[in-house]
Formats: sequence, structure tokens, C-alpha cells
Amino acid sequence: MMGKSIVERAYYLMKLGRVFEERAKEEYMKGNISGFLHLAIGEEAVHVGATLAFGKGDIFVHYREHVWALARGISPKSLMAELFGKKTGVSKGKGGSMHLYEPLLNFYGGNAIVGAQIPHAVGAAYARKYLGHTEGVLVAFGDGATNAGNYYESLNMAALWELPVLFVNENNLYAIGTRIDRASAVKELYKKAKEFMPAERVDGMDFFQVYDAVSRAKEYIEREGKPYYIEFLTYRYEPHSMSDPGDYRSPRELKVFHDKDPVEFLKREGIKRGLFDENFVKEIDERVEEEIEEAVKFALESPEPEDSELFTDIFCEVCTDVVP
Amino acid sequence: MEYKVVMPQLTDTMEEGKIVRWLKKEGEIVKKDEPLVEIESDKAVMEVPSMKEGVLVKILAEEGEELPVGAPIAVIETEVEKAQITAKKVEEKPAEKEEKKEEIKIPQKKPEKKEALPEGTASPSAKKTAAQLGVNIKKLQEEGKLPVPAHEKDIKSYFYSRFFTKSALELLQRYGLSPEEVYQSVKKERIDKKAVEKYIKEKNIPEISAPSDIQRILIKNLSKSTQIPVYHITHPFDVKYLLEKKDYTLTTYLIKVFGDVMYNYPELRTIYKEDSFYTYPTSNISVAIAVDNELFNPTIKNVEDKTLKEIYEKLQEIKEKAKNRNLSVEDIQGATFSISNLGMFGIKQFDAVIPPFHSGIAAVGTAVEGVITITFTFDHRVINGAQAAQFVIDVEKKIQAMRSLK
Amino acid sequence: MLYREALNRALDEMMEKDETVVVLGEDVGFYGGNYRVTEGLYAKYGEKRVIDTPIAENSIVGNAIGMALGGLRPVAEIMTVNFILIAMDQIVNQMAKLRYMSGGKIELPMVVRTPQGVSKQLAAQHSQSLERFFTSVPGLITMVASDATAAYYGLKKAIELDDPVIFLEHELLYPMKMEIKKRENFDPFRADIVKEGKDITVVSYLKMLHDTLKAVPVFEKELNVSVEVINLHSLNPLDMETIANSVKKTKRFVVVTEEPKTGSFAAEVVSKVSEELFYHLDAPPLRICGEDVPTPYNRKLELLSIPTPEKIAQQIVYWGREHGI
Repeated sequence: MMGKSIVERAYYLMKLGRVFEERAKEEYMKGNISGFLHLAIGEEAVHVGATLAFGKGDIFVHYREHVWALARGISPKSLMAELFGKKTGVSKGKGGSMHLYEPLLNFYGGNAIVGAQIPHAVGAAYARKYLGHTEGVLVAFGDGATNAGNYYESLNMAALWELPVLFVNENNLYAIGTRIDRASAVKELYKKAKEFMPAERVDGMDFFQVYDAVSRAKEYIEREGKPYYIEFLTYRYEPHSMSDPGDYRSPRELKVFHDKDPVEFLKREGIKRGLFDENFVKEIDERVEEEIEEAVKFALESPEPEDSELFTDIFCEVCTDVVP
Repeated sequence: MEYKVVMPQLTDTMEEGKIVRWLKKEGEIVKKDEPLVEIESDKAVMEVPSMKEGVLVKILAEEGEELPVGAPIAVIETEVEKAQITAKKVEEKPAEKEEKKEEIKIPQKKPEKKEALPEGTASPSAKKTAAQLGVNIKKLQEEGKLPVPAHEKDIKSYFYSRFFTKSALELLQRYGLSPEEVYQSVKKERIDKKAVEKYIKEKNIPEISAPSDIQRILIKNLSKSTQIPVYHITHPFDVKYLLEKKDYTLTTYLIKVFGDVMYNYPELRTIYKEDSFYTYPTSNISVAIAVDNELFNPTIKNVEDKTLKEIYEKLQEIKEKAKNRNLSVEDIQGATFSISNLGMFGIKQFDAVIPPFHSGIAAVGTAVEGVITITFTFDHRVINGAQAAQFVIDVEKKIQAMRSLK
Repeated sequence: MLYREALNRALDEMMEKDETVVVLGEDVGFYGGNYRVTEGLYAKYGEKRVIDTPIAENSIVGNAIGMALGGLRPVAEIMTVNFILIAMDQIVNQMAKLRYMSGGKIELPMVVRTPQGVSKQLAAQHSQSLERFFTSVPGLITMVASDATAAYYGLKKAIELDDPVIFLEHELLYPMKMEIKKRENFDPFRADIVKEGKDITVVSYLKMLHDTLKAVPVFEKELNVSVEVINLHSLNPLDMETIANSVKKTKRFVVVTEEPKTGSFAAEVVSKVSEELFYHLDAPPLRICGEDVPTPYNRKLELLSIPTPEKIAQQIVYWGREHGI
């Protein structure tokens, strides 16, 4: 069972993710953030639980990635600055919400093409194994990606080549406005992997279950050198992106999932189980508000990238020298 | 604290949004995340939740209104007790939709070091044309008679220019004519200025020139003036006595008369601008002065306090300044009434356009047996007909009273 | 009317007229389309004719090919051109080649619609103009819709054609207000001269056409010239006749596109102009294109990476001054 400090850290990160994204939404409406902004409010238990349980291994995720990035250790400041398109952003303002990367933290970032990160993870696991490393690779993707070709191709290759990949399917029921049962013939998504590897379905709104499942899975892939698959049932409270009205979901459905709010759940359970107390919660909540306030201030005050940045980071030094 | 709700950016491409429906009324309490307003973006109609908890003290944008992203649409008072007071105080209008004027400017190009091209360099079409006309590009470039590289225009210009005299060529340039087109029409081996003039007349070719900066301003202002709703009053004035006095010009006397009478008519000292009336404390009159093609409207201020002599001197001063084109901003501001005198050219009667930010102008005709006809133009938004009539009658009385002035 | 509504009207009328016309793609049905192009069609024609597909672009095009083989006239929507790359095998190896490989026995009356271009801060994987990939494939018709008229008539013609068509739209045109001009004889394979002139020929399409038209009065005045502007409705086949007639008159050629310059469709047009009209040219042809960089997220850098009305005017003025205007 996990220690007290892990749960404390989890609460901090989930709250940080929640407040960060709520603030990002506000800043988007003010026009400080632009482009696509996909919020993960409601999915924090999966993003934080899986990251904490997975330890140091490589992580590949999708475009709904702010909380993954924060949990991995990317600072709220450099993250907010990236959303603002500033020079101090984690991708120097060139990537934006969907393209956050930090190889030093083994975080290989978001991807704006559905499912495109899955083959990357399989390749990374191959490299890991080839080079004699023991740590596995985690790849997260949504329910929509399980209908795409590269998903099946990746399951097959990971199983065929016996690679330590943990497939994390975040089933939030919707691919933009199309409900999963209108897009997938197999309604229980983990079954779409079962022929290739051990696969299970876990409650993604419950941090404890997420953490436990990923810990077991990680132990399995690294011990066996084989892939593993978890389908987390979760929910995004927000629409797909800022420009989606989200009116395809019933108020009843929203209510059911709001009652299972993962941040509130962890707060309740943490106190009930004596893992932390209300003072701790209050302290964290205040700290998080401050941190986000600082992050916004930092982002606002940060400079825009220089015009010359348009032509940097395209090639390595050698090639930059030969390209006119 | 007051929290200003702005037209939110709801999509990546949204520039303006339409208020479809307010879901809260003024004075209602709104919770954080509670739907506040329905907005139509370019992609969909969306419910927009409140970012703050508080009282919706003021709605600034009505249903159906379209506003740019970032324009204030409502005010929320986050401290509920304060809300009562605020509700009355806030009277902010949403930002007027500013017409986006994208003026494109071409910056100066940084000089680049370029390798000089060898003689003989010309565009494909220049080479083709040169071959057809029997022009030796390389030789002429060596002699400096063609540029490097040469373009088709250069070849033709060189070839056909030979048929024209120097003064004829200058005329071509003034009228933007190419030697080729004139040659093709005239078809003579020697074309002089007269022949070109004949060509210009026959083809009815206008000479095109750009207005000067001052003319541009005048054109812009005149177009503005046409938007003023105006009416005219024409009235004869007996000025025999003034004409006989000969101490000062008629314009000087008239300025004094208008200034003194205007002082009693606040409407004449008022202009209308952007939904407000501006009433000035003194009688300030501008005088239309034409210098060549340009027109100036310098101002004489505090006319009611000035003597005829002072007015006369001031008039000379601004005429001089206008002629030298060194009127200051101070010299051309603040007048509400203007005077234009074409009588000095012998014109009997005419009407004039109200200059911008004025509310009236007097068009003064020439004296016929000691009587001049003045046509007044008034801005109806500022001065109504009855007021204007009274003003004109008072002017007449004042002119009569001038008899006693020394 | 909005540009996207013109597309919607074309789809609606074609579906009304011909029950073999079906629409398929991600979120096109119940949700109404991510750019609202298919809005209302699901309610009107039902799920059998407005088909919501899973996220599977290669199969969307593959299925559309099958539908066309089976007697339907499918209109597939790929949400944005960025995702069409996943379907390139079906497009290049299948759709474009079946008629030829079958000796003309197989016909594919189908359309793949997709918007492209730089929108606003959508970053590199969502901000691309990829017309070059389609125009370089023999057997493929590539049409573009630069305004509501071309959108409405062009899409209808594309659906009526018995050949596969890639139909390119632009994300920033969707919410633009414009009218459909009545043109019953609209021919997508004939370019339009939208403005006549005698000194420079400028060819453009999609959003860049609009930006070019904004720049025209500026550089016309600055260079004291008159410009002829040509709007393309089809990139392949390309209406070289209209272009050639214009260039023979003006002797100067400019093409404005949003795509990165190197290897661009603009390069192809310039090649054709150089090959066919070399001796008519009085200045080197000019390409005004995007920079050769992935599109950055930051707004300022993003605008630096593509032509804007300012840049179009500036580049044409500098070029004109350098080459004898």
C-alpha cells in the first residue's frame, strides 16, 4: 500500500492541475491564451495517479496533457508561459497547449494527431530494451484512438516483440462529440487489447485504484518485459476544447460524474483514512492558488519570443550551417 | 470588487461574438461556473459560465448585440454588500466597435549588396523586343543609353524616343504617355511638341496630379462637412456708411459686428461633436483665405473684446502667415463661426460650406449700390431657424449702429 | 451567408437531388461537423446518409472508395488536412490510380473535402497547407474554394464528376460573410479573372486570394501599375490558358500561396510559366509563400511565418522596383 507522503503529493498535484486548468480557461476567455485548449478537469486522478505510480519511466501522452505535464514535474510557470506563447514557455512559445516536452523528465509530450504517440511509445520501449534498460514506457490515449489503425498496429507489435509498454486508455466516453458506443463496436474497450496482452478496466475517478493498478502493471511489464493494458473509466467535465459547446451530454450524466469528482473524492478519502487532515488541505489549497497566481503573473510579464526564433530549432547546428 | 465580464474568446478563430440571451438579470446573484450568458461564436451557440461569484450589477451589452472579443459586456460585484451601491454607479458603455482599418505601409528596403550584372543582361521579353526592333542591347548598355538589366519598357522607350524632340518627350512624361503609343498613332519620323499636343487634345488625355497634403485635408474636411444638416438664410445689408468710412476693410467691420452679436448668442458659439455640444466662452471667428489651390481657415479669437484696429491687424497677420504657410495649430483652432468674402471679386451672391467643427458661415457678396447680400449657412443641429433669424436681424441692427462708431 | 453555409447548401441540394450522395466523416452527423459544414444534414437525411465514423482517416477514405465502387457518390470529410496524411495510402495508391490500373473499367465518383491552412495559434500539427501533396499525384483532381460562389458551385460540380476530387477549403474562410453569386455555368476548371489589369499578373486562391486583394490597391499605387488578379478553382488540372493569356499581356508573374515555399505548388506554377512563357517575361516570376518552418504557436511568430497583406504588398513593391517597374 502507498505511503502517506504519496497521497499528500497526489492531492497537491491534482489540486494544482485543477486550479491551473480553471485559470487557463479564464485566461483563454480573456484572450491571453489562444488556439486549441483541451482541459482535463475531471481526469486528474488518472493523470496524477499514473504518473506517480509509474516512477521515472518514459511517458508519452495526448493533447489533453497539462496535468500529465505538471505531475511529471514541469513547473506551472513554464507551462502557463507556454500557453501564453511566451519565450519562457516550456517549448519557447512555439508549441502551445498540445506540444509540451521535457526529455530531462522523460516526458515526450503531447500529440495533436489522435493516436500518433502510440507507435512512438512502442519504439521507445524497443530502444529501452535493446539498450538494456529495465524501465518500461507508459503511453496514454483516449477512447477515440482505440478505433484508429495505429492503435492496433502498436498493440500487435508490442505484444509480438515483447516490449515493456503500459497502455493507458483514458476512456472519457467521447471523441469530441461522438459517444464511444456510436464509434466503437466493442463497448468495453479493454477487450480490444485482451487478445494481445493482459488487460483490465479500472475506476479512473479513484486515485487509490489508479495508483494501485499502475503500480502492479509497472511491476509486471518490467518483470516480464511484456506489455500491459489498463482502461480507466473517467470523464472530462469540460467540453472537448474551448470551441466545443459540449451540448451533446445530458445533465444527468454530468451530475453522475460530478458526484464522483476525483479531487473531492481524494480529499474526502484522505481525511477519512487519516492520511492528511483538513489543515493540510487548507494549506495546500492556498499554496496552489498562490502558485497559479504567480504562474499567470510570470506568463503575463514574460517576453514574446524574438522574431529570429521563427527560424531556430528547425535543424541541428550542422544542418543549420548548410541551410541558407 | 468589481469584476468586468468581457466578450469571451470561445474559439480559435473568433473575433466577435453575439449576445444571444442573458441567463441572469441585473441584481441577481450568480455563482462561479453558473451559466451567465449565451453567446454565439463563429462555431456554435455556447453557454458561458461566470468566472466569479457575486451580484450581476450591470449588463452592458444587449441581446442581439455583436461585440469584439475583449469588449466589456457586464459587471459583477464580488462583494455582495457593495452591490447595491454599485448598481447605480456603473454606467459604462461597451466599447464602440472600432472599424478595423488595416493601413498597409511599405517600409524602406534595406540596401543590399548586389553583384553588378554584365552588359548584355536583359529580360527575355526585352531581348525579344530588341531583336524585333533591331536594337543592340549590349552596345547601348556600354554607352550608358540603356540600364542593366534592361526591360522591355527600356528598349521600346529607347527605340521610339528617337522619333521625338526633347520638348515632346518632356510632354510625354508629364502626361504619362509612352513614346510607343504616340508613335504608333502619329507614325512620323520626327514628332515635335506640337504633334504631341495635338495627340493629347485629340485623345482627350487628362494630366494627372496628386493633391497636396493641405488639399488632402481640405478634401477630407469638405466631405465631412457635407454630412452636416444645413439651411441657408439670405439677407441684404445696407453698408453704405461703412464703405464710405474707408478706415478699415469691409471684412474687418463685419468680423467685429458678427463677434459682438455672437457674444449674445451662445448657439453661435457652440459646435456639435460626437454626441456633445461644445459652447465656447468667447466669439471666435475664422476667415476663409485662399492661397493658390489651397484654402486656410485661420481664427481670430475674442472678437468681442477687440477693437477694429486690432481685428484689422490680426487679419493682416494671419493672411501673411497663410501666404507663407506657417500658421500654427493655435491659429486654426477654436472658431465656431466663419466668414467667406467673395464680394471682393465682384460676386454678388453665393453660399458657402460650413468648415468642420463650425456651426455657421457667412458668405459675403459684393456691394451693389451700397447694399451687400450675405448668405448664412447654419448647422441645424445647433441653431434653429428662429434663433438664426433673430441673429441676422441683430446683425443688421448692429451694422446700423456702426454709424455711431468712431 | 457564411462561406461554410454555402458548402452546406451545396451538400444539401445534392443530397436532396440524388439519394446516392452520402456524407461520412468524424463528427459530421449527430454533432453537426466540427466546422458546422454538415449542420442539419443528419436531422434531415438520417444516419444512413450522414455517417459518423470512428477516428480512422485511412478507412474513411478507403470506405468512401468502396462506396463509390458500390454505386454511391460519397463525400468524405476529413476534419482538417493535417489528419489526411493518415489517409495518404488510400488517396495516392488507391483512389488516384484505380481508373488507370483497371484500364478505365473502374470509376470513382467521390469527393474528399478538407480544410487547410493556418488558422490562429493551432501550432505546427494543425496549421498546414498541403496542396502540393495532392497536385503531384496523377489521377487526382484538386479543387479549391476561395469564396462562397466557388464553394457552392464548385462542390456541386465535384460531386457530379465521375472522378475522385480532393476539395480543399480554408479554416479561416468558414466564418467569413460572403454571398453566392449566381453563376449557373460555373466551370471549376476555368480560372476567374477577379480583377483586370495590364502590368502584373497575380495568381492566388483560398485565404491568400483575399489577402492579395487587400494588398492590391497598395502596391498598385506604390508602383503606379495595374494588376490582374486570377483566382484558381482547380489546382490540377490547372487553367494555364487563362494564366498564359494574362502573362502575355502583363509580362510579369506573381503567385501567392500560404504553403512553405520549398517544393510548393507555387513552384509548379512558376515552372509552367517559365517553360511556356519564357520569352514573354520581362521580370523573373515571383513566389510569395510561407516560410520554410513548422508553424509556431506564438501569434507573432505565426504571422511572420505566412504571407499577410502587408508582406504581399511589400514583396511585390521590392520585386517590381528591382525589375524595371
